[in-house]
Amino acid sequence: MSGSSFASGPSAGGASPGWRTRDIVITAIIGVAFGVVFWAWNVVYGAAEPIFAAAPWARDALYGVWLIPAVLAPVIVRKPGAALFAELVAAGVSAYLGSQWGVDALLSGVLQGLGAEVVFAATRYRSWSFPTIAGAAVLSAVAAWGHDWFLYYSDVSTDIQVLRGIAMAVSAVFFVAGGSVLLARSLGQAGVLDGFPGGPVPQGTRAG
Amino acid sequence: MIVQLVVPDSQLDSRLGRVSPVIKLGIAFAWLAGLALTTDARPPVFLALIGVVAAVTLGAVPVSRFARGAAPLAIAAGGIAVFSAVFSTHNADPAAVVAVALGPLRITTPALLTAVGLFARIVAIGTTAVTFSQTTDSTRLVDSLVRHAGVSPRFGYGALAAYQSIPRLADDLGALRASRRIRGMRWTWHPRLLLGLLVRAIRQGDALALAMDARAFGLGERTWYRDLRWQGRDLVAAIAGLALLVAALMLAC
Amino acid sequence: MASPAGPSRRAPGRADLAAEGAPAAIRARDLAFTYGGASRPTLRDVSFELGPGEALLIVGASGSGKSTLGRAIAGLVPGDFPGEWSGTLRVGDLDLPTTARAALAGVVGMVFQDPGSQLIMDRVEDDVAFGLENRAWPVGAMRARVPDVLAQVGLAGLGRRRPNTLSGGQQQRLALAGVLAARPGVLVLDEPTANLDPDGTHAVFGLLHEIRERRLATIVLIEHRVEAAWPLADRVLALGRDGSPIDFGTPDDVVARSGERLRAEGIWLPRAVDAALPLLPTALPLLPTAPGAEVRDWSGGALAAASPVAAGVPLVLAGEVIFGYTPHEPIVRQATLAVRAGERVVLVGPNGSGKSTLGRLLVGLLRPWYGWVRLAGRDPASLPARALARDAGYIFQDPELGFIAERVIDEVRAGLPAARVGDADAMLERLGLPPAEFGQRSPYRLSGGEARRLSLAATLVRRPSLLVLDEPTYGQDRRGYEALLEILRERIDDGAAVIAATHDERLVADFANRRIEMAEGWIVADEPVAVASGRDATAHQRQAVIEGPAVAGARAGGPDGS
Ligand SMILES: Nc1ncnc2c1ncn2[C@@H]1O[C@H](COP(=O)(O)OP(=O)(O)OP(=O)(O)O)[C@@H](O)[C@H]1O
Ligand SMILES: Nc1ncnc2c1ncn2[C@@H]1O[C@H](COP(=O)(O)OP(=O)(O)OP(=O)(O)O)[C@@H](O)[C@H]1O
Ligand SMILES: [Mg+2]
Ligand SMILES: [Mg+2]
Repeated sequence: MSGSSFASGPSAGGASPGWRTRDIVITAIIGVAFGVVFWAWNVVYGAAEPIFAAAPWARDALYGVWLIPAVLAPVIVRKPGAALFAELVAAGVSAYLGSQWGVDALLSGVLQGLGAEVVFAATRYRSWSFPTIAGAAVLSAVAAWGHDWFLYYSDVSTDIQVLRGIAMAVSAVFFVAGGSVLLARSLGQAGVLDGFPGGPVPQGTRAG
Repeated sequence: MIVQLVVPDSQLDSRLGRVSPVIKLGIAFAWLAGLALTTDARPPVFLALIGVVAAVTLGAVPVSRFARGAAPLAIAAGGIAVFSAVFSTHNADPAAVVAVALGPLRITTPALLTAVGLFARIVAIGTTAVTFSQTTDSTRLVDSLVRHAGVSPRFGYGALAAYQSIPRLADDLGALRASRRIRGMRWTWHPRLLLGLLVRAIRQGDALALAMDARAFGLGERTWYRDLRWQGRDLVAAIAGLALLVAALMLAC
Repeated sequence: MASPAGPSRRAPGRADLAAEGAPAAIRARDLAFTYGGASRPTLRDVSFELGPGEALLIVGASGSGKSTLGRAIAGLVPGDFPGEWSGTLRVGDLDLPTTARAALAGVVGMVFQDPGSQLIMDRVEDDVAFGLENRAWPVGAMRARVPDVLAQVGLAGLGRRRPNTLSGGQQQRLALAGVLAARPGVLVLDEPTANLDPDGTHAVFGLLHEIRERRLATIVLIEHRVEAAWPLADRVLALGRDGSPIDFGTPDDVVARSGERLRAEGIWLPRAVDAALPLLPTALPLLPTAPGAEVRDWSGGALAAASPVAAGVPLVLAGEVIFGYTPHEPIVRQATLAVRAGERVVLVGPNGSGKSTLGRLLVGLLRPWYGWVRLAGRDPASLPARALARDAGYIFQDPELGFIAERVIDEVRAGLPAARVGDADAMLERLGLPPAEFGQRSPYRLSGGEARRLSLAATLVRRPSLLVLDEPTYGQDRRGYEALLEILRERIDDGAAVIAATHDERLVADFANRRIEMAEGWIVADEPVAVASGRDATAHQRQAVIEGPAVAGARAGGPDGS
């Protein structure tokens, strides 16, 4: 009988086709973890709003938290649809746990996820460089900004809207893109991303 | 910790509890869309009241439990309304009547009215969400999304399994903080906790995925152990939900 | 991949439904596997053959590759664990690892060590049905099968419960039910009685005996403590530290051929087998080595008085402590105890009786509702972290919960003063994790036993005066066990006290001088442990307790099957 011999591992650079169960569950669990974070964040954010009235841009700089799953999950699993799925699960969990945004959380989630997804799709899920990731984060922020303008801030003056947009975009680059890349790298160094394209660090190599 | 996490059977087996989650979700979306059309305070107040009454009567949700679920939403809604009132375009209009003047702060009456409408809208949206989650089992929700709304079973049940791990993640967070403390690290909410929590989440996800794969998850077509069929009450609920929305919108005219 | 709904979609009675019930043979030839990036193979030259319906027991030192082999048979290695694989592995007529996971899942079922992490659905019966749904069983067949399996594992009537309200033992049975439901041809169990109390262990092994006797499935069982597993095995595969097999054969043959070698490798053998081997285990540093001599003063002069009323300055005191996780549901009820320097306390009791909870209360990781705790005279829950860490050490029941660093060496060094960094390396060495090999590894790339030893090393190296250890010996081979006991003895000699929550009767016999038993949150017994008389009384002779009556002689039945 002839034995088989081969090496397995994540394909070198890009997305491997098809979702494994592991990809699905990890993406979902990132969504779930952030869903709980959203749930808490919703309350803090909403309650702090009068305080932020003095410096609205500060509040929008914190907006990035809602966009993290849309970038973190695809950076790790690198599958088409990961941004959308993670963000949708996160939004769904936060709404299910009770959110002032109700089912609108789902709508926001879809838009934010799609924003990031579009950028990743434009590179055919091949580029995972920082500019791509930052672009995805910014587009996700843009989607959120448009949605909020329409639904919640239609009465707010345009210059404030523009300021909001700028604050959100800056926050997206630093908080969301930078944060996701750092988190994914730390997770890889911690040795829990073996088998994922997004950041396994071979054992024995020193974390720099 | 989180009130909503485990919904008692009494609520799940109530009349509202047995309505298909897809229908309830559809109604919630319809209400959301409808409310976005108006800044008048009356329709959202009406729908919020309907939501509460339906939850308490048809949904068998105890009032205190409902209140605990809805309280944070009301606080947040208040914050957003204040923001809107302060930064409203109406405030720049020199002709508008000033309702509040505090130093440099000038809030006009139309701005205030819009803010009240906004507050009511957010409360209404939040209330429907509480009503939904207090009468809906996560398993039933995913079952009906998969079987009645065409959601992919792999993604649906993958997300459901991940959702079930929330209590474990909450425990893990406590354990993480404890293990930092007992090793002499300052007992604060250190940012590394987020990383630690994600590590735990991914480890749990891995274990779950292994267990699911080991039980032939995604083998191909699947069947369902739990019964789920369209019922007369689903139709009734859909019609009632839409009728109430129309009635609410007519209040604004 | 949206699929149309409808109960009548699939014709019932799939042809392979019957096939799923048939036990499958397993054949391995020259199997080798190296984890991605690892410097040496984890498995090598593994060959064995197992007939359908036979039971294989895999033993080996910690880190010898048992779990890896189990995962390979279940098709998870090398799919989910990247690495290099060579050789042949056949399960039934499927060729691994080229067979699609999903196809294999119809044939092999695997039960993992941690029951909580393998429960998928929100209700007991839904969880059992999950594997059947995935195999597209007709509704009627599922409705009939689910209660059957639940009854078989002793969970009848609990179908509507939520799994997280079950005790650890019940959860493990549920995990087994979820796998058994689909009648897998091969059942792989990796330390399935992890964290189970003796009753739960009994129940699981009773079930396994039934499966073996009725030849319902081929069984692959991985265990360290083989007392209950030995009688179950038709074949034993012993793996050496380098991942190559030491021996494979019937249990009797393996003992006859390689008994001494197994013992030298640190592999546990059943008491009776061990005692019959020519060389008595002199290497085992028993505690206490000379009874009477060692159990002198710490507890007030006499062992008989080593109970809570003994004199001496207590390291930790608890008075009328009441605590629960949710309002109105106390988990620890009016616990009162004092533990003094030099005391070696074991905390025993069934699953869910509150042992871990009490342990956490004593080191201030939880704050009592009522009552008080004093650690070296102060309330541990309010101590600054630094002071707490100096006075108390704690290891979690699940070692991974305690990990805070990204590399093994950092895990042990975390928070150590610079002058004592060398201790960290020495401690790792003693606990069988030489820094040269393990230091740069991630704590999450360790075997189960290695992870537990790492958590022990990280705590022991700090030399706190009170050590609270939750299940410290679970999953350890004999070397790890002996090394741990030796270190604990040193700590005791330095004037520390040890409290170990455990289901391990051997630890009770080898180590304890005081035993606290809990039941439903109450402390129901607090008594000195009688020390076995005579210098040559080995631990093995003292641990008859863990060999259950239900398993004794069960082997006598059953055809040999080969
Ligand atoms: N994910 C992984 N990545 C790299 N190396 C690993 C991984 N898991 C285990 N190892 C290493 O492979 C070896 C075998 O591990 P395995 O878990 O199979 O051991 P085991 O015999 O089950 O041990 P134990 O009795 O302690 O559970 C160990 O040296 C371990 O450090
Ligand atoms: N974090 C928690 N939240 C809620 N309930 C908990 C938590 N931890 C434990 N419990 C419950 O408290 C009870 C006692 O648990 P504990 O872990 O102290 O038992 P144990 O004696 O250590 O059991 P085992 O032998 O299984 O380790 C159990 O019923 C358990 O379900
Ligand atoms: Mg193992
Ligand atoms: Mg315990």
